[in-house]
Amino acid sequence: MSNQRKRLNGEEEDDEDGDGIGDWERAYVDDRSWEALQEDESGLLRPIDNSAIYHAQYRRRLRMLSVAAAGTRIQKGLIRYLYIVIDFSRAAAETDFRPSRMAIMAKHVDAFIREFFDQNPLSQIGLVSIKNGIAHTLTDLGGSPESHIQALMGKLESSGDSSLQNALELVHEHLNQIPSYGHREVLILYSALSSNDPGDIMETIQKCKKSRLRCSVIGLSAEMFVCKHLCQETGGLYSVAVDEVHLKDLLLEHAPPPPAIAEFAVANLIKMGFPQRAAEGSMAICSCHKEVKIGAGYTCPRCKARVCELPTECTICGLTLVSSPHLARSYHHLFPIAPFDEVPTLSSQNDPRRKLGKSCFGCQQSLLGAGNKQGPCVTCHKCKHYFCLDCDIYIHESLHNCPGCESIHRPKSVSLMEE
Amino acid sequence: MVKEMAGGQVEKRVRLKSSGKDPGTPGFLRIREEMLLFVADDPKSDSKLKVQTQNIESHICTKEGSNKPNWLKLTNKEVFCLPLEGVISSSFKIIRTCMLAVTLSQRPLLNVKRNQLFRHPLSSSVLQTWSYASSFFEKVGIELQRLHKQLVEGKVLTEDEFWATRKKLLGKVSTGKSKQQVGIKSMMVSGIKPSTDGRTNRVTFNLTPEIIFQIFAEKPAVRQAFVNYVPSKMTEKAFWTKYSRAEYLYSTKNTAVAAAEAAEDEELAVFLMPDEILARETRQKIRRVDPTLDMEADQGDEYTHLMDHGIQRDGTSDVVEPRNDQFRRSLLQDLNRHAAVVLEGRSFDVESEDTRTVAEALTRGKQVSKAGGGSTKDANQERLARMSRAAEMEDLQAPQNLPLAPLCIKDPRDYFESQQGNIILNEPRRAGASKRNVHEAYGLLKESVLEIRSTGLSYPLIKPQVSFEVFSWLTRTISTAKNIIGKNPKESFLNRLPKSTKDEVLHHWTSIQELLIHFWSSYPITTTYLHTKVGKLKDAMSNTYSELDAMKQSVHSDLRHQVSLLVRPMQQALDAAFEHYEADLQRRTRTAKSGEGPNGCI
Repeated sequence: MSNQRKRLNGEEEDDEDGDGIGDWERAYVDDRSWEALQEDESGLLRPIDNSAIYHAQYRRRLRMLSVAAAGTRIQKGLIRYLYIVIDFSRAAAETDFRPSRMAIMAKHVDAFIREFFDQNPLSQIGLVSIKNGIAHTLTDLGGSPESHIQALMGKLESSGDSSLQNALELVHEHLNQIPSYGHREVLILYSALSSNDPGDIMETIQKCKKSRLRCSVIGLSAEMFVCKHLCQETGGLYSVAVDEVHLKDLLLEHAPPPPAIAEFAVANLIKMGFPQRAAEGSMAICSCHKEVKIGAGYTCPRCKARVCELPTECTICGLTLVSSPHLARSYHHLFPIAPFDEVPTLSSQNDPRRKLGKSCFGCQQSLLGAGNKQGPCVTCHKCKHYFCLDCDIYIHESLHNCPGCESIHRPKSVSLMEE
Repeated sequence: MVKEMAGGQVEKRVRLKSSGKDPGTPGFLRIREEMLLFVADDPKSDSKLKVQTQNIESHICTKEGSNKPNWLKLTNKEVFCLPLEGVISSSFKIIRTCMLAVTLSQRPLLNVKRNQLFRHPLSSSVLQTWSYASSFFEKVGIELQRLHKQLVEGKVLTEDEFWATRKKLLGKVSTGKSKQQVGIKSMMVSGIKPSTDGRTNRVTFNLTPEIIFQIFAEKPAVRQAFVNYVPSKMTEKAFWTKYSRAEYLYSTKNTAVAAAEAAEDEELAVFLMPDEILARETRQKIRRVDPTLDMEADQGDEYTHLMDHGIQRDGTSDVVEPRNDQFRRSLLQDLNRHAAVVLEGRSFDVESEDTRTVAEALTRGKQVSKAGGGSTKDANQERLARMSRAAEMEDLQAPQNLPLAPLCIKDPRDYFESQQGNIILNEPRRAGASKRNVHEAYGLLKESVLEIRSTGLSYPLIKPQVSFEVFSWLTRTISTAKNIIGKNPKESFLNRLPKSTKDEVLHHWTSIQELLIHFWSSYPITTTYLHTKVGKLKDAMSNTYSELDAMKQSVHSDLRHQVSLLVRPMQQALDAAFEHYEADLQRRTRTAKSGEGPNGCI
């Protein structure tokens, strides 16, 4: 956006960009700012309270997820090898997503990669792009978010056609080499409405199915039969984003580990190392940067090589090096907290049967809303404590432990030691 | 295309040019260690080249990745030129590397080394050696040369083993990875629109090699006509002009004019009439009575006007079609033909600009597939597979929810004991002892808890002497570290050492890294080859260990402390490797003695 100020007769004109419309005009033309208003009880206008809508959407999503996983606990793919395929064909230059589909995809993939490594520290990501009918590997499988994001942001150009088959063939070749305990996944961000393939894509889809590749697609334009068929055959998810926020939500849905399918879940013992942190004054040449590092860093327990960060694979002996918080973060996914129950808002505050805590157990903020009426809140059916909606989201998405349940005094735990 | 002759020679197809505008004489370029020789295809040609490598002043090659055509130019001689094609660019790379090795050989410092590499018996081919040699010199520099000398010429590692971890350094070597092909454009052949300028009464068709390929793939009659008529009856340009005229007539949908022109011009008629080759193929398909025939698609099939095709219609609702309906083509026909061509698959890319080569290659491909498709067993199986897929109506199928794996967390003690069993094989099981330790620990903990309950927590919680000791130790460590780092923390520690010491330390570190990577990747030892390799590596590591000690002694006393700080982690890594080697050796001799050696182990 260029700010060209023309000074005519000493006056200053408004900021204009190349299109000739100002920022304030864009709010009406593009963003339709009148839709963000609603009337309150007295007929006055006020901005829409987005937080309530956000919370409602969140709870709906949580309920859907928990219904799917109700009853028995299921295995999940904790060690995931995920390839993100991004369509950089000419359809990615469309401007229905502002500023362009390509820019929005890059932005959200950046956020997704960080979230992915946050939730799946033992996993690895690789990036593939489709341009001019050919698929190119942008980065190989690796565990460092920065290198992937750097490679992605350095190559934001779109041209040519898109070929789904070439992308699947390339990813299939890469993922065939990973060990059997890893979960093979592909996430395709598809902008085009067609696929220019050199052969029969159905054969490629069958090949992917046989190799246990779980392919999911997020479309940015419209639903396509071939993408739907691919996802159905391989057990993935297909969705089409309607706007930017929706695209972000759809992408982030793929961050938590998916359930493992029974016939493909192979139980294996995997060797991992838990390196110790190097002492403060210790010095060594690190294997990753070939520089002398003093103090910070870790030493591989097997070959004593120096590495700079975890989790990683030791460059000398190939051992997977992790720390216990990484395992703990993965472990949480196996034991998700059941969704809390919504507390219905009662007209009467003086119901003697209900013992409403006046503050949230998590953050101690008052649960009473405007006019001393009870605001929206939830309750844990195990410990019966009340939580506000923000704490509900925080507990389910980040903490993965209910503070109420953890605070329950368990006198029997001591006697367990005597067994 | 690559010919490797005995005695160290590389031969490639090139075109020799004496200037930029010269079309060039095709022939073979032979690159030998001492000479470059060009031999033309045509024995009567005057173009010749023979030059000793020592007389080459310098050479210029096109850079990798640039858009210019590949050429190699000797400053004191003529220009070489190669056709610019995808496959051939790798040949050009080989020529480049050979030339580099040749010219670098003129530096006396590296001469001996190159010869040794060149005659290395373990390389699989001369070409690889040349390629390794020149990449080695060009890209990576002195350090890797030194490492190569130490490890490969010192017989610790073979050439292939050394370069196995460095494939990326030698450029993307295709290790059997399939090359991707571009699909045929969605814009169909019938969609090729000509351009017109408003002034004259002309339309211009722009036919690229890609479009020509598509035309040949979708219209076998045109392909056959090209093979038959060009260049015997007409030039290529005339052929395509006639074809474009036919397409233009189709697009005008003026069947009367089309019929008239077809009657006059025999060749034009070939383009305007329905494709006979295609009709034949379609009849064959119909005869096979394919049960997956989709009734709806039948309506829009390629040749509904053929007799005996499709559903019998009673003719009541048929429109009486004019006589010249054979000059019409519908969009559905085009779409179906295009889809059929795409599904058949693309066997090769458009490499050559020569249209005739493309046409012949396509014809050959078709014949091969026809011959191969005659096998009835495969055809039946394929049909059965297609039937099972096609018989399902999507809406009536149940959702494909594959059963999920239930979570089952096993008792870790099972695994722990099995792991421990590997290490303490012959020691008596001390399970009872470990349980006793747990009880003891619990008892001690309980006692201290009771004591705290009765006497309360002491104030201060931690004894002052203890905290002072911790504090002073930390201060000492941090100040020592600060002394080591120096006043300027950003300055690299290594840069403060003299250059020779720094180089030596880095060289030792690099060679230790290399040895350790190969060492750890050889475990578990399952073959004799690995056993021998590990033995050689272990000897090399022992030598390096003593060299490190010697280096520490030889260094100036001011720097001795710093160097020993750097050397210590390297020696620790070597010690860990030695320990592992010894432990593995003991375990294997123990299993060998007990007579229950596992399969494949020595």
